[in-house]
Amino acid sequence: MIRRRALLAGTTAVLATPYIARAADGVIKFGVFVPLSGAAASWGLGAKWVGEQAAAEINSKGGIKAGGKTYNAEVIAYENGYNSAEGGKAAQAMLNRDGVRFIIQGIGTAPVKALQSLSERTGALMMQVAWGKSVKGPQAPLTFTNSNTPFELFGPLFDLVKRKHPNAKTVALLNPNDATGQEVEAEAVKQYKARGYEILASTWYERGTTEFQPIVTKLAQTKADIMDLSGAPPADSGTVYRELSVQSWKGVKVQSSGTGADAMVKVGGAAVEDVYMGNAADFGGATATPTQRKLNEGALKALNEPVNILHMGAWDALMAIKAGMEATNSVDPKKVAAKLPEIIFESSYGPTAFGGKETYGIAQQMLVPIIVTQIKNGQTVEIERIMPEELKARLAKR
Amino acid sequence: MTGNKTGWFVTAAITAALLGYTLVGDDEYTQHLLMWSALNAVLAVGLRFMLLVGETNIATGAFYGMGAYVAAVFTTKWNLPFPLALLAGGVLAVGVGALFGVITLRTKGPYFMLISFAFTEVVRLIYTRVEWLGGNSGIIGVFPPQGLDPYMPALTILLCGALILMMYLCEASNLGRVFQAIENNDAIVETVGIDVMHVKLLCLVIAAFALGVAGANHAFVYNVISPGDFSYLVPVFALAYVKIGGDNHVAGSILGAVLLTVLAQALQGAGALQHILFGGAIIASMLVLPDGIWGGVGRLLRKARGGAA
Amino acid sequence: MALSVGLFAQLLVNTLQIGAVYVLFALGLTLVFGVMKVINFAHGQFFTLAALVIAATMPEFTARFGMPAWLDYFVCFGLAFIIVGILGAVLYFVGFERYLRDLVGSFILSVGLLLFLEGIYLWLFGGAPRVVPKLLEGQVSLAGGAMESQRLVICAIALAATAALYQLVAKTRMGKALRAVAEDREAAMLQGIRYRRISFYGFMIGSGLAAISGGLIAPLTAITPALGNDYLAKAFIIIIIGGLGSIPGAILGGFLIAAVESFAGYFLDLSYATIAMFVLVMVFLLVRPQGILGVAER
Repeated sequence: MIRRRALLAGTTAVLATPYIARAADGVIKFGVFVPLSGAAASWGLGAKWVGEQAAAEINSKGGIKAGGKTYNAEVIAYENGYNSAEGGKAAQAMLNRDGVRFIIQGIGTAPVKALQSLSERTGALMMQVAWGKSVKGPQAPLTFTNSNTPFELFGPLFDLVKRKHPNAKTVALLNPNDATGQEVEAEAVKQYKARGYEILASTWYERGTTEFQPIVTKLAQTKADIMDLSGAPPADSGTVYRELSVQSWKGVKVQSSGTGADAMVKVGGAAVEDVYMGNAADFGGATATPTQRKLNEGALKALNEPVNILHMGAWDALMAIKAGMEATNSVDPKKVAAKLPEIIFESSYGPTAFGGKETYGIAQQMLVPIIVTQIKNGQTVEIERIMPEELKARLAKR
Repeated sequence: MTGNKTGWFVTAAITAALLGYTLVGDDEYTQHLLMWSALNAVLAVGLRFMLLVGETNIATGAFYGMGAYVAAVFTTKWNLPFPLALLAGGVLAVGVGALFGVITLRTKGPYFMLISFAFTEVVRLIYTRVEWLGGNSGIIGVFPPQGLDPYMPALTILLCGALILMMYLCEASNLGRVFQAIENNDAIVETVGIDVMHVKLLCLVIAAFALGVAGANHAFVYNVISPGDFSYLVPVFALAYVKIGGDNHVAGSILGAVLLTVLAQALQGAGALQHILFGGAIIASMLVLPDGIWGGVGRLLRKARGGAA
Repeated sequence: MALSVGLFAQLLVNTLQIGAVYVLFALGLTLVFGVMKVINFAHGQFFTLAALVIAATMPEFTARFGMPAWLDYFVCFGLAFIIVGILGAVLYFVGFERYLRDLVGSFILSVGLLLFLEGIYLWLFGGAPRVVPKLLEGQVSLAGGAMESQRLVICAIALAATAALYQLVAKTRMGKALRAVAEDREAAMLQGIRYRRISFYGFMIGSGLAAISGGLIAPLTAITPALGNDYLAKAFIIIIIGGLGSIPGAILGGFLIAAVESFAGYFLDLSYATIAMFVLVMVFLLVRPQGILGVAER
């Protein structure tokens, strides 16, 4: 049902634009490599929808012009199951069976790493948001990140928490026991310790767990001031916070990977009030750009939920690749990848570029604002927005 | 059965054609399909091998997985040569299999099946807990030596073919007849002086070797392995290949494996449809074709020839 | 961490909550095995369907009739029960009836059903998690162990259902027929018990139990088409340790496994607990295949 509505919305969007899509010389396939079911389903389904909107937008404005030809964009979604096994198979289907050479969104460190070992070898350009520092670097010249990772986010987020809650001294963490969880936990622990917090417990759970009480009992017993569920997807976090409140834990709630109030409130109800999120934004509010607000409205109609940063990454990635193709006048992934660090392109946030050479070794991190939010009255409320210094410098030089 | 010259000729011809195609053809995806089918065929034949003594051994999944992990470790962590990695897969599977068999083969039927099921899950869970093996996320980057890359499809077909041939020859020999006798009634076999436990153990060890080597091959073909690849679903699907293809003959297992592998891949990414069609295929064949496709085709041919069985 | 009374009470409360649902779910599975000697791998799909139907229909009911949440819930529960019943009957007549007492055949068939039904659910309901609105506000504290009020009510219902089933099997005629068939099919048939009819009833009761446990779990967790899979694996452990085909065994096994999860999950890591449980299963199958309370097969 969601798929049908999305299709309808997408078709309407294309038909409603005043431009008629000119006959294209070809089609370029763009892959979306995400979980489409399970606890993280809302991330995948949304990314797919946004990707389709981006493709529709591009096609309605004349497509992608490169190498003397005009191409239409086609977005195809692949279920990666949020694990290596399914991800590996989906990667094979995407790269080998369907010949996809550009990937605009990848979610889940484990499946993305599986995909990466194949995509780098096959020569496919990938934009993803797996939260592992090792995913990017000179060893993976075709891999880019289309939104912020813990490395960029946690610092500002934890600084804010420290400012607002100076009496909080101890932290307990819960993460899923896989690559995502492990990368997140390592960075979180490092950043907390650097700010003088004491880590009372760092617990793990298996993805697919439905009964959280035993784990929650363990967490509640620590009586930590801060409960950090950074690596867990929205449905799981909501369940854990709800159970924590039943077992009478009170304190500061941090969900660094939190992408939005919606999914968490659905499951956790009042228990997720005041949760601080690092990866969420209110794309319907005053600080959002017109593009973002339009997408948000569309998503509310098509998917019954607002659009979030992970979804928006698909839009920004597609726009970036289009810009790269037009700048190099080619659809060769390797050429486009080499050009991307040099250009400034129009993302949903406004003019953006790729940076992060000092951190990662090559410029593969999309420079988008860091937005810290909090759940207030069941809504995502923006508290702080930081524009990356590197982007400011690049834009000033223009 | 070995005397069936037409059968041998056809098999040789098909194999030669496939090998020729893999060396000349350039469609990457079809090459991958052939490799995946070959591996699944070994899984099916391996599982069927134990069915010959009347045991449904879900632990075949564990042996397969062990082969894969050994190969991955040998290649990515210890940098040992490719052929050694393949062989090591078989060796480890044999070792573990023998131990497993000695302890568990005293049970039979449903109880043996459930033990083997539990064993496969235990092994899988252990993989998820061992950091060194990559935990839940497994091991990536398992590649054959650079020069061997274009020959992997041919190599895989040859290797899998050899493993299947080995098992077929065992089945066709006197050993195979003893297997059959045991499946029928092992008490009688004991009275003739044959140690049933030893024969069953031998059966298990042969299957384990084949599966271990195939598992090692799997690691190089898929390049990425994780515990989720080796759950109880793997041998259960193998069982489906056997039943759907037809459990009366090795060819049935191969046929079932090829058909269902191609079907699964064609449906890959189709989300719900993938589950529906794959599950539906299993259900349909269980309800409509109890002898499998091979059996069904056989019946048709017999009818065509005039009814004589 | 030391074991205070409050902590112990909390862990016990956790055990009770988790166990109540496990027991109901495992009962259905063990009953089906006992009577039909069939391992139904698709048992979890009845469970999942009940939860999905409730989660999908409750919002519609609330919007249309505006009844209080808990009343809506019961109505939808009833609806779910009927739907699962129909599915069960269909599956029995079309499939399982042919594979009575064929362990391997029924196993493969049920795996096919598991995949097929999971695909249907994905297609009908979508992969995103669904939630049932809260039925009862507030929480209770049992000797220091806290749990949501609605969980307590659900627990009570589950225990009542278990008791009812126990009575059914122990005291009624049908129950005696079920037990007779499970113990010795041929002797039972000689006594005039109609095997096929009793198998059918057994299967329907089994799926009914799965539906009830699915309905009861619906308000407590996020529901996806893959919900039943986690429970299925646990259920197998439970019925093997408790005793294949044994009703008291399923009850004992259910609470035992829940206790292991609750306590081991607290003091150690849950995955190790799961490994330990599977190893225990293997040991039982080797040493005492009839489980703790089962009867040794003749």
